[in-house]
Amino acid sequence: MAQRPAGWNTLGRRDLLKSFGAAAALGAVGASGRSWAAGNPWADAPVSKVDRLNFVVWTYGDIYTKISKKFTDDWGIPVDSTISSFNDHPTKLMTMFAGNETIDVSQSSPFSFPNFISQGLAEPLDGFPGAQDYLKDFTESAKQVAVYDGKLMGLPYFSTVWVWNYNSELMEKAKIQPFKTYDELLEQCRKAKKDGVCEYPIMWVAGVGLEQLPGTWYQMTWNRGGVFFDKAGNHQLGPGSIARETLKWWAQTFADQLVDPDSLKYQFTASAKAFGAGKNLYRGPNHHYGLNIANDPAQSPSAGKVQVMGSPGDGRTIGDTHVYFLCSATRNKEWAWKLLQYLGGRTKDGQYTQANNLARDAMLGSGFQSVMKSSVITDGWKPWGDPGKILEIWDKATYVGEICNSIYKPWHFPWTDRLNIEVQKALTAQITPDQCCDNLIAAIKEVQKT
Amino acid sequence: MSVGALGVTMNVPTLVTLALVLAYPIFYAAYLSFHKVALADLRRGIFPFVGLDNYARILTDPLFLLALKNTLVFTAFSVTVEIVLAVAIALLVAETHVWTGRITKVLILLPYAVPPIANGLIWAFLYSFDFGFLNRILFTLGLIREPINWVGDPNTAIFMLAVPYIWRTLPFAILLVHAALQGMNPELFEAAAIDGAGPLHRFRHVTLPLLRPVIVVILVLRTSFAFTVFEEVLAITQGGPGDATWVAAWYSYKRSFAPPFDIGIGSASAYVLALIVGALAIVYVKAIYRRIE
Repeated sequence: MAQRPAGWNTLGRRDLLKSFGAAAALGAVGASGRSWAAGNPWADAPVSKVDRLNFVVWTYGDIYTKISKKFTDDWGIPVDSTISSFNDHPTKLMTMFAGNETIDVSQSSPFSFPNFISQGLAEPLDGFPGAQDYLKDFTESAKQVAVYDGKLMGLPYFSTVWVWNYNSELMEKAKIQPFKTYDELLEQCRKAKKDGVCEYPIMWVAGVGLEQLPGTWYQMTWNRGGVFFDKAGNHQLGPGSIARETLKWWAQTFADQLVDPDSLKYQFTASAKAFGAGKNLYRGPNHHYGLNIANDPAQSPSAGKVQVMGSPGDGRTIGDTHVYFLCSATRNKEWAWKLLQYLGGRTKDGQYTQANNLARDAMLGSGFQSVMKSSVITDGWKPWGDPGKILEIWDKATYVGEICNSIYKPWHFPWTDRLNIEVQKALTAQITPDQCCDNLIAAIKEVQKT
Repeated sequence: MSVGALGVTMNVPTLVTLALVLAYPIFYAAYLSFHKVALADLRRGIFPFVGLDNYARILTDPLFLLALKNTLVFTAFSVTVEIVLAVAIALLVAETHVWTGRITKVLILLPYAVPPIANGLIWAFLYSFDFGFLNRILFTLGLIREPINWVGDPNTAIFMLAVPYIWRTLPFAILLVHAALQGMNPELFEAAAIDGAGPLHRFRHVTLPLLRPVIVVILVLRTSFAFTVFEEVLAITQGGPGDATWVAAWYSYKRSFAPPFDIGIGSASAYVLALIVGALAIVYVKAIYRRIE
């Protein structure tokens, strides 16, 4: 089990605001006040030699072309990349590993990482030069994913927080304000449908996946004060549990035909594009950065009309961090560490180049406190959404592993397969939410045998 | 060199090639199915022997049994529709009086040239509830008033999934039936006509009996291929909604190539599938050839 410190909201909004000034003052010499000139670990060339390096990642725009070029320009070593889709990445990585191929650096979602570690794919990073400095700069979310059994196993790729979206034009048409309670949400949607404002007011990101459909249920359950497993690993799905009641409410939105029927197929990006078509009032909780599609005039007819909002009640939500790691199938650990830093740490000039670019180009959050405190976030996110609002929600986020700590167990995957199946069956009224939860409880024992 | 020795020598390259590309993976998968092995263990080459445990596990896994049931439904539906359509379309394009027959023959082959995964993606777009062409066309023609959630209904999803599959594989069956029709002696039909047999009687008592051997071939081939349907599932439904389109090949894939990458279980499930297909092929051939004899 990974070490799981307190929630990642220990870095408060006020702390962030206070730190902006300090971060600006430190800008010339680096966020921690140290000079990142030559002589620091990220600026020194390893003694050993390599002809080339490679990484295996999932696709995200052209970020990898840019960073590979920078690495080659800085160190004169060409970098090969193998890039697949997000859902295909674990398969691609594992088949390459099984096929005895060389892999220097790869990446992982928080859901797959414990499995990759237990299968021996990731190398501990503690002994590498500069590793402890990185760890000191990690956000709590990054620590909870990247530190496993007390060892540093990865560097952060990006962090995200789960938010709701709404279409301001349709809201105006429906003469309603963003909902404050889940009951109010149902009322608003029924009214919008009845008034002909939109046929299917809610779009859920409820496609099959490790994060999509399960994450939506995790988020709404957590927001209502529930979890899926307690600290001791006992399930919290029994009769009367918050997870079960949340599922009942969720299924009701389908029964009332308030839900876009494609919801059960939507992944994050596809749903952001579809929401941009302007046919739905609300888009259910999911990664904050979908705004960079839904509010991009080149990709969305609704650009500028898609707003972000927090969750009802105390606004608590979930968040997570994806990581890069040094693969045990590397050709050269020293150089792989160097490449890993380009992807998930500092480049030769001492800058968090990749993290900064991801914030500016793709609206992603960072697993480094110094990046999150910098103007890169507040300025970089502005074209697509309200950074202040999102950072406010950020403060109320807890790492998803706190809500569903089975992600640290090897049986989490087959159980998530069952969760995807049973919940979709409940949402399409093939079984009741009670049957769904009972089946999932029974499935825990079944999958634990594996 | 004797004729026999020459024959053996000439066959050696083929035998070696087949042994490498077919026999080795088949026997290696069998070996894996008796071991506890995750994908990463293949690199290390260390995995314990577990006997029939993997087989016992999948045969008691409700999801595998459901996937088998879905596979049977998918296969029965798609193969039946395919044979009926193949015979009907082959009879039409064989009609020499219809001048468009030659163009049709070429057009019919087009779907067969589409790679399976591309076919799946095309139909995923066609089926889309919000933006699909199928709903748009039907709506424009006034045939529907509300868009249809083609693959979103768990009761019909498996049949909707069969449509793209049939669209892709039908040309193969048409070609076989068409070739069989071309090989039939026209005098048989002339004699039947002289004896007063109408078109339906000629089809039932002359054409259909002569087509039986080729129908057996189509049944065996299409059944074995339909049992391994995968690409359309991957591209269109991913097994959903719920478990409505979990088929056997999807089960094997998910167990082997999705976390926790249990390739021992995946291999065992693939073997169970292969045994079922083999048994069905034997039953088909015996039953239908007995009737022919």
